[in-house]
Parts: sequence; structure tokens; C-alpha cells
Amino acid sequence: MIIGLQIVAILFSLSMVYFAALNYKRREINGTEIAGWMVIWIGTIIVVVFPELLRTFARTFLFARVFDMMVVGAFLLVILMAASSYMRTKRLEKKLEDLVRKLSLKKK
Amino acid sequence: MKIFIVIPLFNEEKHIVKVLKEVSAYKMPIVVVDDGSTDSSGRKIIDCRSKIVTLLQHKINLGKGAAMKTGAVYAFTHGADAVIFMDSDAQHNPEDLTKFTRKLEGEKYDVIFGSRNLNLGVPLVRYLGNKFVSSFFRIYISDTLCGFRGVTRKAYEKIKWESTGYGVETEMVIRTGKAKLRFCEVPVETIYHSGVKGVTPLDAFGILAQVVKWRLTI
Repeated sequence: MIIGLQIVAILFSLSMVYFAALNYKRREINGTEIAGWMVIWIGTIIVVVFPELLRTFARTFLFARVFDMMVVGAFLLVILMAASSYMRTKRLEKKLEDLVRKLSLKKK
Repeated sequence: MKIFIVIPLFNEEKHIVKVLKEVSAYKMPIVVVDDGSTDSSGRKIIDCRSKIVTLLQHKINLGKGAAMKTGAVYAFTHGADAVIFMDSDAQHNPEDLTKFTRKLEGEKYDVIFGSRNLNLGVPLVRYLGNKFVSSFFRIYISDTLCGFRGVTRKAYEKIKWESTGYGVETEMVIRTGKAKLRFCEVPVETIYHSGVKGVTPLDAFGILAQVVKWRLTI
């Protein structure tokens, strides 16, 4: 069962590495961003293959299994990214609104 | 008192000419904000435009709240002391305009809300929605979603809204209550006809969610 989960996690991580590389190739993300994503996904693969690496760390934070700690960590990361994405969208919406208004009021 | 009429417009080619003809009779400056219409609304206005009608065009559709704000910004930077907002779908009767001007000029109210319910009684669903808002903000308006309303320059400075969509009407009510402005309601007639867009149940749900957000932020 654990092996099955590990295979799924590795395949998922590998596909995310591919998408990160694709985005970099299309110049949608810069060098720093691709490096950040590579660290995250390759780190995930290493931890999935060798969960013992984080066992001591997990015990320190009172997690029974490394898997539980990774799920909580991933959940926190998703919340962080959703919040950051929401704020960026709001800022962009405001800028767009101001720009459209400015254009409509121009020369009137 | 110089009063401008602001009409936010989105895809109302069937009604906008009729609305403009009827409103023009009141000899008040009219600002139509075409909010990125994809039909021939904009062209129809240009064809029938008179000296008192100003057309502002959003390049893309931002929403009713954003269009109202653009109209208000234009009006107040061109000498308006107050603005009256009207919908472009011919649901509002221009004859009701005098009720607003009387309250703005004669009785010196800051904000005047049109209400479709004052004479007929409030439908249960709308009553519950209004109660929901009032329980949060201690202001009760019998028709929080009616787009027919008047605002003075002083009031506008205090209730400048953030909503770009249909939440604008509710946000105006909430900000009016928060700013402790002098407000009143006037009964307005609603002319219903087929093909009316307006607030959908999904919009209403979104507005309710926004009410909770405003409770925390305003």
C-alpha cells in the first residue's frame, strides 16, 4: 500500500518537474522560480523514496508518521499559495479597473 | 444644486434609446457608462446623443459597481453636487426622478434609496436578505438591491465603494450606515419586461458572502 502511494507521489512529482521545465522554456517563469520549484519537487521525491530521512524531524513535531507530516505541510503550502494568489489577483483587478476608468475618462 | 444622472450600461441595445429619450426630458446632464457592451448599445447612444448626454466607454466589462464609480467620478469632477443612478434596462420610471431631486435639494438628504417595496410591502426573501444586512450593520433599507438612488458629493466621498459588480448596492447601504449619513427611501415604480438580466441567485449568494467580508473590513 505504501509502495503504491510512493509510486503515485513520485509520478506526480515528476510530472510537476516536467510542467515547471515547460513553463521555464516558455519563459513564463524565471530562473529563480524554476530553481525553487525544482528544489520542492526533487526534495519531495527524495523524501518519498527515503521517508526515514524525516522520521526524527516528524517525531520532534509529534507526528506519528512522516506521511502525516507531509500531508500537513502540503496543506499549509496550498493555503499559503491560495492566499498569495488571491492577493495578487485583487491587486491586478484594482490596477485593471483603474486603468480602464482612466482610459474612459481621457479627453472627456 | 447641479444634479447629474449616471446610467451604467451593459448590452441594453433594446432599451437604452428609450431610457435616454425619457430621461433627457428632465434637462439634467446624463452620463452613460458603457461597461464594455458587445452589442450595438454604444453606437445607438452615439447616434441619438444630444448635448446633455456624455458617453464614457469601458474597454472591457468591469461590472456595474465599476461603471457607477466611473460615472460618479466624471460627474463630480465636472461640477456635480449630486448624482442619481438609474438602470439602463428601462425598469425605472423617469417620472420618479423628481422624488429624488426633491429630497436632495429640498430636504438635504445625503443619500436617497429608491425602494420597490415601500408601497407594496417587502417580499419574504428580500425581507430576510435585508434583515441579514441590518443585523450586521444596524441599518434597515426595505430594498437594498434597487439601483435607483441618489448621492451627494459629500456622501460619495464617505461611501466610495470597492465593489465592481452587483454587490455595489448593498455596499453603499452598509457604508451609508457606517458613515452615519442622513438617508431616506422613496417609493419607485418598477417596470418589468421580458429578457431582464439583473441579479441572479448566484449573484445574491456572492453578495451575502461579501456582507460577511464587509463586516470584518468596513
